[in-house]
Amino acid sequence: MFEMKTKIRVAIAVTFGMAFLLAQGQADSAGRSILKGAAVEYLFPEQVTVAAGKPSTVALHFRIAPGLHINSHTPREDYLIPTTFSIPEGAEVRLDGTSYPAGTEITLPIDPSTKLSVYTGEFILQARIVAAPGNHLVEAKLRFQACDKSACMPPKTIPVAIDVIGK
Amino acid sequence: MKRNTLVITAVLFILAIFAWAGWANYEYRKQAAERLAASAAQGVLVPDAAGGAPQYISPLKGKPAPAFALEDLSGKKVSLASYKGKAVLINFWATWCAPCKIETPWLIELRNQYAAQGFEILGISADDIDRGDPQKLSDEKKEIARFVEQMHMPYPVLIDGDAVSKPYGGLDELPTSFFVDRKGTVVAAQLGLTSKNDIEANIKKALGN
Repeated sequence: MFEMKTKIRVAIAVTFGMAFLLAQGQADSAGRSILKGAAVEYLFPEQVTVAAGKPSTVALHFRIAPGLHINSHTPREDYLIPTTFSIPEGAEVRLDGTSYPAGTEITLPIDPSTKLSVYTGEFILQARIVAAPGNHLVEAKLRFQACDKSACMPPKTIPVAIDVIGK
Repeated sequence: MKRNTLVITAVLFILAIFAWAGWANYEYRKQAAERLAASAAQGVLVPDAAGGAPQYISPLKGKPAPAFALEDLSGKKVSLASYKGKAVLINFWATWCAPCKIETPWLIELRNQYAAQGFEILGISADDIDRGDPQKLSDEKKEIARFVEQMHMPYPVLIDGDAVSKPYGGLDELPTSFFVDRKGTVVAAQLGLTSKNDIEANIKKALGN
């Protein structure tokens, strides 16, 4: 009797699991929308402490969604939109300059003759900032234009929020 | 007897679970279909049965192409209606779009090849334009014109694609093309860079070949 009950419990557990996977899996495959989520995400740091009034370098980490690439800061063609980082003028934190990583060279499968300089995966920008004394919530911006291997999304600007403490 | 009851109960329970899963799936699909309809002509990519690139399924297929009248680079209004009786490829592109630049020479060749049969391309730029700032608007038009000139595009190029993006599915990615037959019905759509052969096959569909 005990063995029978155990079998029934196992059967119920397996059934629940299968039913859940069935409902979930079919729901996921029902409609793969062409709309994608965020192409680029700012990772960190959320807060930095720098010497007030002096240029300080801050490493800013970003992640590009799998399957996508964005143009590097120095794309190979002038018609392509470069990735650029900016801090609004007039803020108490000033951008003194930005060092961008070199792009990776790729070609599109359908046209190997077209070479592109892009970022993929995670990338780091080195921003030189000068902060006034005090706490400042900086609303910096990253402008980029993302594509996959066959199509491109319109250029986009995302906020990069950093709490800068000038000491 | 007790054992049989237990088994029957378990079987009924299992069947009920499957019925619930089926119902949940049906409800999800129903809601997804409603969302699709609500978002105008939002298309979907579905996997290719042959294992190739995903196919773009546009809800506009089989329906009349949404009407529009947009300015060309000289400021002249060009309407889709004025091309009735011709097969038309409506090609949304942008100056910053590398795949668009790759496919443009194919479009030009195909346009020249099939023009005599009553085929035309309307290139619609999805580049942002700023109508509130005459200087910016002029610069933006110059940028588009520079691209058109560099690529030697012989067909009408219209601007302000964003103004007609909604009925054409939002244009979240470029290039996007719609193939319209002589009666004004969308017979095929393509999202992204495919191949010259794919484009030609859809042009033939639009021409009724």
